[in-house]
Amino acid sequence: MTGPYSLQRRLSLLLTLLVLALWGIATLAGAVIVRHELDEVFDSALQELAQRLLPLAVETLYRDDPTDGPRHIAALAGHEEYLTYLVRDADGHILIRSHDADPSAFPGRPTPGFRSFRDVRLYTEAGVSGTVFVEVAEPLGHRREAAWEASLGLLAPILLLAPLSLLAVWGGVRRGLVPVTLLRRQIERRGDADLTPIAGLRLPSEIAPVAGAVNRLMARLDRALAAERSFAANSAHELRTPLAGALAQTQRLIAEAPEGPLRDRAVAVAASLNRLSHLSEKLLQLARAESGLFPPGPPTDLAPLVPMILDDLIRAAEGRLLIDPAAPLIATIDPDAFALLLRNLVENALKHSPRGTRVIVRVLAEAVHIRNQGPVVDFDRLRARFARGTTRASGSGLGLAIVDALAAATGAAVAFRSPAPGAVDGVEVVLTPPA
Amino acid sequence: MRILLVEDERSIGGAVRDQLNADGQAVDWAESLVAAGEFLAVTDYDLLLLDLVLPDGQGSDLLKRLRAVGSVLPVIILTARDRISDRIAGLNAGADDYLVKPFDLNELSARIAAVARRAAGKPNPETRLGAVTLDPAARRASRDGQPVTLTAREWALLDALLRRPGAILSKPQLEESLYAFGDEVESNAVEAHVSRLRKKLGHEIVETARGLGYRLGAGA
Repeated sequence: MTGPYSLQRRLSLLLTLLVLALWGIATLAGAVIVRHELDEVFDSALQELAQRLLPLAVETLYRDDPTDGPRHIAALAGHEEYLTYLVRDADGHILIRSHDADPSAFPGRPTPGFRSFRDVRLYTEAGVSGTVFVEVAEPLGHRREAAWEASLGLLAPILLLAPLSLLAVWGGVRRGLVPVTLLRRQIERRGDADLTPIAGLRLPSEIAPVAGAVNRLMARLDRALAAERSFAANSAHELRTPLAGALAQTQRLIAEAPEGPLRDRAVAVAASLNRLSHLSEKLLQLARAESGLFPPGPPTDLAPLVPMILDDLIRAAEGRLLIDPAAPLIATIDPDAFALLLRNLVENALKHSPRGTRVIVRVLAEAVHIRNQGPVVDFDRLRARFARGTTRASGSGLGLAIVDALAAATGAAVAFRSPAPGAVDGVEVVLTPPA
Repeated sequence: MRILLVEDERSIGGAVRDQLNADGQAVDWAESLVAAGEFLAVTDYDLLLLDLVLPDGQGSDLLKRLRAVGSVLPVIILTARDRISDRIAGLNAGADDYLVKPFDLNELSARIAAVARRAAGKPNPETRLGAVTLDPAARRASRDGQPVTLTAREWALLDALLRRPGAILSKPQLEESLYAFGDEVESNAVEAHVSRLRKKLGHEIVETARGLGYRLGAGA
């Protein structure tokens, strides 16, 4: 089977063909029976006629003087005869004939009983101790026509009913397959994140195991994804705690060490630890983003979250980062996914803009607009994972990979424009979470 | 200030305690929820630093219990959980601030100062007392426009008085702000610090309520 095929079409066609075939067989059998019955009726008429004719013929023959030539029983009027007859003697000499009778249609010698000869049905009755034979002939075409007409009578309703039965079967199959359609819709409606079992459907015994198997599969998937998520969450915790300890101790070392090479070393260690913690955080964010499970929630106003999400960045940026979450931002996106998206975009905007310039984050028209005054950026080049821009800003280069994965997982739209609209340089990023 | 630190990770707890001590804060360090409960039962604290994942339960449960009995103790959560939903949950449970590990110790100091200021109902970090200007968050003091350098203990003492302006604080109360459990309290330390503060900032900065204790100078 190359492509998918319609079970409904297949079933309808098969059932219709089957019904029609059975109907055909029934018609054929009917025709055979009709033919047989017709033969009996016609034969019996033939026999009856011959037996009635025999005494008449004998009487006619013996009332008149027998002559040599054949005679006709006086015809009432000229008409087309369905039945013709001959009265002959044992040697085959014609004694009497009906006016339409064709002697060549009668075989050589008369023999009592039924015979079929060429296209003619014959019945011969013998009388006067086997010296006089009455032979009645009837062309078979006549009864064939009758049989054909009777069969046609059987066939006609089929031709009428075939399309009707096709429709009826189609409708029936369609109705019968409703649970399949319902099941399909339920599965389709799940989307990416909803792995709850299919329930509330009354499924026929043929389909129920499929739904059961789907449910089991989804449960397994759910467990696997939950394990992955909790791994990402736990490893974040497990990694951060010792890093935090090492960093805090190193910072104390810096504070307590006397000026000189020892403190310089401690500063270098702290810098390395900071880079390590930044990189591990980005890697964990990427793992979380790529696990792709951020089920949409009820519509919530995210605007109040914006300052909270950017809290530490605002502090670290020392006045470079301005936030204006004046308008509401109603969206159904998972708040954690939104926070990761926003943080990464703002971090990038800060990283790729020169000292002393400002990064402005505004909530406008159900979207977050992030604008900086950095250099014009070619985003096609930048978006390749791990590909760094031409700036010397430090960073893992994972930010945009995280943004891409999150946007794909949540249906958020992220548009980059450079230079920023109405400016000669800088970048404007518009993050539109799904409403 | 007297601060209770609840943190089970030794290297973090040690560094945080040292940092806060260097800032002149008195720090008690509990490594479990049970220990934290015991500390809270016997001492009044000015601030609580609370880790969320502890060997005997969730820090947020302690926070909820505190808030349920009406405690207004300022609380800063220190946690390795960085999700915004964790943060919202923490703040909803009654935390005043939330710091994600790994954090910068100076950032922690700044946050502690900010939370303490907010708790005292003084969002403006600068306080003017006559010719004296004090900014405990930035650790800046000046007299007649001239910067004055104060030690951590001197700041701690001043801070305790600043947070309860007008109130008389007894010597043991002030000692509590300066020393954690297990610290060896120097005899006459409070008197010594007060005397040095008066020398640096002017005699009227601290008033003596005879037989009762000290308060911030009303005329200052």
